[in-house]
Amino acid sequence: MSVARPAARRLLSGRLAAGSGAASCAAAPATATCHQLGFAHQFHSSPQLSARRKPRFANVRAADMGLMDEKQIDQFTKEQFPKYTQEEIDHLRTKYSPAQIAALEAGEAAIDPRDLTVQGRLRVDPYTMPYIDDFAETQPIIDKRAKNQEAPDPLARFMNMDEFTADLVEWADKFQEGEVTGKLKTPADFVSDEFKKKPEGQWPGEVREAAHKAFQSYLEGEMSKQAANPEDTSGPTDADILQYILERSGMTDKNRTTDSSLALALPSKVPGVAGMYKNAIDPEDHGLDDIGIYQDLKRRTGLRVKDILNLHSKQLVQRRVANQTRLGKVQKASIMYVVGNGNGWLGIGEAKSTEPSIAGLKARLLAIRNMRPIRRYENRTIYGSVTAKVSGTVVKMNARPPGFGLRVSHRIFEMCRAAGIQDLAANIPRSRNPMNTVKAAYWALCNQPDPERMAIGRGKKMVDVRKVYYGGATL
Amino acid sequence: MGISGVVNACVHLQNSMRASLGLTSIPNTKYNLRLALALHRAGLIASVTRGGPRPPPPEALLATETEPVTTANVATRRLWLGLKYWDNRPVVLSVSAVSKPSRLVTATLPQLAKVARGFPVGPIKGLNLGETLFVSTDRGVLEVREALDRKVGGLVLCRVS
Repeated sequence: MSVARPAARRLLSGRLAAGSGAASCAAAPATATCHQLGFAHQFHSSPQLSARRKPRFANVRAADMGLMDEKQIDQFTKEQFPKYTQEEIDHLRTKYSPAQIAALEAGEAAIDPRDLTVQGRLRVDPYTMPYIDDFAETQPIIDKRAKNQEAPDPLARFMNMDEFTADLVEWADKFQEGEVTGKLKTPADFVSDEFKKKPEGQWPGEVREAAHKAFQSYLEGEMSKQAANPEDTSGPTDADILQYILERSGMTDKNRTTDSSLALALPSKVPGVAGMYKNAIDPEDHGLDDIGIYQDLKRRTGLRVKDILNLHSKQLVQRRVANQTRLGKVQKASIMYVVGNGNGWLGIGEAKSTEPSIAGLKARLLAIRNMRPIRRYENRTIYGSVTAKVSGTVVKMNARPPGFGLRVSHRIFEMCRAAGIQDLAANIPRSRNPMNTVKAAYWALCNQPDPERMAIGRGKKMVDVRKVYYGGATL
Repeated sequence: MGISGVVNACVHLQNSMRASLGLTSIPNTKYNLRLALALHRAGLIASVTRGGPRPPPPEALLATETEPVTTANVATRRLWLGLKYWDNRPVVLSVSAVSKPSRLVTATLPQLAKVARGFPVGPIKGLNLGETLFVSTDRGVLEVREALDRKVGGLVLCRVS
């Protein structure tokens, strides 16, 4: 029998264990340990010890040394950790709230003073705090500053004129000392009795004018009276006024002092502003533009996001450009995109960014914005022949018959495909700069001759003979 | 003068159009007159008026002549051409002479037919969209399609587009 097989090994070990157990039990009956030993697994190769190992050097018990004398412990405990006396408890009650007193009592009850004597010790290890502290008071260098004050008033707002006046009067009332000067008169005190009850707006013009004039002279008299008596020290001092200006709160929080100079943060939804500061996802997009890339484009062009995504776009030119600054070269990617709807609309866009993907996105969005209608003859080729020149690049384009195909360079091919032109011949006789090629081709496509316009200019009737033969049928 | 006068007139006409002039004048020769009338028939210029060295008044542009030509004033006569514009752009964009005094270019009827269909014949390039060719024939100066109607060939004067 192979012992390597797990099932066989399990069976074998079970047999051996049962056999040895039965044998030893027969030799020394009624021993519980025998049964346990029989099933004990040995996980290491060192021999099992028959009993606990004895230490080589015997320890001496504390009680044997006279250290654990119960009398001495009790005496030490009573001396060092006495219970609170009734006087002390009464004094504590004046300092702490009932809840705190309850917590103190619970803490006292939880710790046995004897344990403090036997087990408690002062730490001498290197990580000991360098002071003995009961944390009764904060230390400015070590501890964080206590925050005892309330948080700022969440409902505080700036005072309106009436509240401000009331607040000012309240402040000024603190300085009511010395001679009472009485209340100031108002313009209503300077008119006859019949107008006194009416509001000022209903007074006749001359009455109002006379009243204001008298009131003005009264105010000036009061002012000069005060100026004539500079020794009058009643009322706020300059320091009080300065303190009022610097420290008085302008909000409706009753001058509440707080630990924080920061007001509470705005809630996630500010009432009255909610929904106005965040662009909501337009349900018309059907989840196609949750990031909001096309929202601006949608507004500018009037296209739907679905249509924008269906436009035929192609990156035509990519190159690295660098701006030499005093800090070194700033590399950017310059990308040109062409976008068309495959049915007579075409646009090109050029954008730069340090990140090529962003430059591509910007260029594509610009190209969509720049889309313009391209004149197409029979929706397949251009009108006549056009030549365009941008810098040293000349692009010549010629209309071709149906089935001719696009015999043009690859960039112009992509432009034709995006615009929906199927038959065209083009050549670039001079410089073949990629970017200028695209620009010149776009200019040529946008500036084709217009036969209708020519006919109107010359006063001629124009007939397209291709639409005369075969019953006007064209490809 | 011969053909050189026509070449000069062609260049002058193109320059005047590009300078957005309303009225210009060319020397009063029979060749120029025939070309001007052919251009007028083709709708490329607005009016042809024979006048003096000063531009004729606007009302005189409706007539062909401001005053009768006499031996006394014939030397000062000029052809005043009214130029055409449409949609803020000149109707004639380019006038280029084909025949020059150093090389007269003639075309037979079949050759003209080929050119009118857009194919090149010798030094004459095929006509493109909106282009016309003016041919001096024994029936006078004709546009290429008029010449084809009348089945005549001749000296190719200029190409106008």
